[in-house]
Amino acid sequence: MNEFVYNLAIWLDDTQWSTMLHESYYMYNWVESTHVLTLMLSLGMLFLIDLRMLGYALPEVSASKLAARLNVPMLVGFALMFITGILLFYAVPVRTAQSLWFRIKMLLLVACAINALMFHRRMNQSVGSWDLEPRAPGSLRWGAMLSLVFWSFIVICGRFIAYDWFDCSPSSSGFIADLSGCIDGQTRF
Amino acid sequence: MPVSFFSTWTRTLMAAAVIALAVWGLYGNMASAVYPFLLGFFEWMETTWFGVIGKTWGAAFAFVEAIHLLGLAVLGGCVIASDGRLLGLLLTDVDASTLFDRTHRVFVWALSVLIFTGVFMACGVATKIYYLPVYWFKMLALIAGILFHFFIRRPLLQHELDELNPVVTKLVAVASILVWLMVAATGRWIGFSG
Repeated sequence: MNEFVYNLAIWLDDTQWSTMLHESYYMYNWVESTHVLTLMLSLGMLFLIDLRMLGYALPEVSASKLAARLNVPMLVGFALMFITGILLFYAVPVRTAQSLWFRIKMLLLVACAINALMFHRRMNQSVGSWDLEPRAPGSLRWGAMLSLVFWSFIVICGRFIAYDWFDCSPSSSGFIADLSGCIDGQTRF
Repeated sequence: MPVSFFSTWTRTLMAAAVIALAVWGLYGNMASAVYPFLLGFFEWMETTWFGVIGKTWGAAFAFVEAIHLLGLAVLGGCVIASDGRLLGLLLTDVDASTLFDRTHRVFVWALSVLIFTGVFMACGVATKIYYLPVYWFKMLALIAGILFHFFIRRPLLQHELDELNPVVTKLVAVASILVWLMVAATGRWIGFSG
């Protein structure tokens, strides 16, 4: 699996567009800035919904209405983050594919998606009974709390990717190197 | 309650005075006179606990950076939700005054987190950012954003929406979104500079 990921990253790295994106000072920085700034739209909307469920934000506003109205801008934000995230990966594929933080981030994204699906299912089933209550029922509060925690760790991992603490090197070995997917004899680091 | 002509113009004149002062500070002799003296302060910042921690432990610095981003996300959410309501694009079926009041409370918390984590980060790289023009642009944008939010936007939105000129409220919303976007963008650009 790690070899497949490494070879895929090498193949992407060899494409002309990857090099151009990586070496373009302004384009790369614009893509990265857009990735970060869309946090305000995507996570901004999501956190307001989560905080509403926990009773910390907009407690007088109908929870289902707030979630429904903020859903569209939130999804637009996530779409932008997703596109720019793919471009960032494409610009630096080998290092990113072997970043411990990137791998944890991807796992957390999957966890977030599962949590969001479960959260929406539970909310749609029960919304009539508590919609105008300041706090959502316990199971939904747990979902909102998990969402806040997962996304906070995603942002932390995203920030940590920029640092080279656990980058693969010719001497990499051990547990962290295994998790990062460093492979024996790799030629690019 | 109709909007008082006097209070509206008082705020307008105050805002104009602040802008004039900022322009004078930027393009007059004040900036060049004050700037060298600030170096000592920035050098001192690096010797504080925040500065020492930020410079010594990269992980602590990166963690605080992430918290700064989370604060930015919450602040952005409040700005977009309330300004989206002013523009008639978001939450149009939610009571405006409740929305403005409640998002303002969350906004203040988010801004506090941003300022606290921002000061920490600035201490860690104080003598670097001192020489970065983009850092000073960010500070100007931040001051403009805070003044705009607390002294223009917030007092204006204390009134019922239908008492206000819709063009003015939409302009206020656009200005608010732009100023906070400017704060975020210049902040991000600090990382690319130097």
